[in-house]
Amino acid sequence: MSESVKRSNPLMWFLDPLTSTASQSDPEYRYSWSKIAWMLPLAIGILGLVVTAIGWATNSEQFYYSYLIGWAFCLSITIGAYFFVVIQHLTKARWSVVIRRIPEALIWSFPLLAVLSIPILLGMHDLYHWTHHDLFDPASANYDPVIAGKEAYLNTPFFLARFAFYFLSWTWISYKLYTLSVRQDNDPHPEIAPKQRKYAAIGLALGAITTAFAAFDILMSLDPHWFSTIFGIYFFAGSFMIIMAVMALVSMMLQRKGMLTGLIKVDHYQDLGKFLFGFVVFWAYIGFSQYMLIWYGNLPEETVFYRHRLEHGWGTMSAILLIGHFIIPFIVLVGRWAKRNLALFGFMCIYMLVMHWFDFYWIVAPVLHEHVAMSIYDVTGVIGLFGVYSAAFMYRLSRHALVPQRDPRLHKSLSFTNT
Amino acid sequence: MLNQLTEVKASMSIYEAQEEEVYGILAEFSNPGTLLHAAQSVREAGYSHFDTHSPFPIHGMDKAMGLGNSIIGWITLCGGMAGLALATWMQWWMGKVDYAMNISGKPFFAVEPSIPVMFELTVLLAALATVAGMFALNGLPRPYNPLFFSTEFLRVTDDAFFLHVAASDEQFESGTTTQMLQDLGALHIETIRDTGEED
Repeated sequence: MSESVKRSNPLMWFLDPLTSTASQSDPEYRYSWSKIAWMLPLAIGILGLVVTAIGWATNSEQFYYSYLIGWAFCLSITIGAYFFVVIQHLTKARWSVVIRRIPEALIWSFPLLAVLSIPILLGMHDLYHWTHHDLFDPASANYDPVIAGKEAYLNTPFFLARFAFYFLSWTWISYKLYTLSVRQDNDPHPEIAPKQRKYAAIGLALGAITTAFAAFDILMSLDPHWFSTIFGIYFFAGSFMIIMAVMALVSMMLQRKGMLTGLIKVDHYQDLGKFLFGFVVFWAYIGFSQYMLIWYGNLPEETVFYRHRLEHGWGTMSAILLIGHFIIPFIVLVGRWAKRNLALFGFMCIYMLVMHWFDFYWIVAPVLHEHVAMSIYDVTGVIGLFGVYSAAFMYRLSRHALVPQRDPRLHKSLSFTNT
Repeated sequence: MLNQLTEVKASMSIYEAQEEEVYGILAEFSNPGTLLHAAQSVREAGYSHFDTHSPFPIHGMDKAMGLGNSIIGWITLCGGMAGLALATWMQWWMGKVDYAMNISGKPFFAVEPSIPVMFELTVLLAALATVAGMFALNGLPRPYNPLFFSTEFLRVTDDAFFLHVAASDEQFESGTTTQMLQDLGALHIETIRDTGEED
């Protein structure tokens, strides 16, 4: 660490591993919004969590599922940010430098998410059917030969070890990428960019494996009979799609408050829009690939996932997901015009956030409910968690320059035009 | 009708020679920046039948020339829709009508296994329509172009930057157009004649 950038105290470390460098940032890149930017989401978030806590007291099983939906939603945004930062470094991308601080601040959400995962780990017995010991006991009436065959993988100690490994590896790479970038702001050194690339390369390889297995463990194993090897990519596709919407929305908010005026241009938004559109299509492509192979194979342990989601009223939800998460955004975002019209594009970003949450609802909620049901806690859970999550993010963003101000490729990003 | 055809051809940079077989005026510029500026000035002077030629694409040239958005996207869309319709019909007709065959109890025609075919044909016809549309909108292939009569123009694929104002433009007047190009800093200017035969 250089002189000007210091480690923060251990308690603050969860929010930001470095002391604030906002006073050292260039005036045009300085954060200038009031504290309301993080206090308001924090207040909404705490309110949401308090309401959700009522669910924990009255209907704890529903609470755990609702909480998992909200938590997975926040996790996927963070994973999307992680892959975005990693890919920008590896490709030496120029266009995105001016918006890169946003995902850089987002990736330091991993420690917070690890803390917020405690209720999920406490609720494992309710969430994950495979944690029931009698399933593995041939003498028991509940013996399940299919799940028993997966005992080597689906057991609590191994699950917890994997869970810890995911978060340690994500936090490690995020720490390196985040601190290197902030260090560069205040103490530019030609060695920083190659170092960022090095950790990005490790992070990409590590992230590919951990993201896929995290998706298997956290979401797919809710349905322990079912398996789909493409599920990790499905999770990634949604994550990488939503990070584009989040970056665009945060940029619009900052610009509305008079920050980064003229620096983030409509050309940058158009590129985010292209990515958003591309990964909406990619999500559908992967989702359909999963569905079609299962339809063709017609094996009971695979079709169970879709069969359940097409029966007892869940079919309506599946239709909403297909139309709302693919067809509508496809038609709206396909044109160049929609990506350059910030009012429409901003609306579509918010819309995609809702649909992305709906995607997790569609994966998680049918495991609990035989018949279609949406609990109030599904909604308050995500409001609570996302509120706290975005409060921590906005607070972190306010502590440093809003742009990697000494990045060697920043001037290329500022003069970027889209033809 | 004939006038409309002339305009369509002009949009493909195919211009018609005027009296005394004058095809237009070709001006060479020293670098991409001056060419960009010249194109903008020529457009602002009210010309519409002109084109620029350079060894590589120049950022912002379409804006400077006032080209606007290409209609190529709509051609792509039509190609894609045609592919989608063709694939849907093909899957249904082959699977259910022409050669109905029971394969492990699956329906003769179902949307699920047809989607990859529909997707591929959509992409294929959209891509072919895009390439064909691009060629048509650019007036390609075009083995004969009067600009090739200029020996200077041969350097356009190497290191020279040209602006060509066609004689078919309503504003075109040999003297004033030449004067304007000179004022814009053209390195040298020549009048191109379309004699229809090699000299």
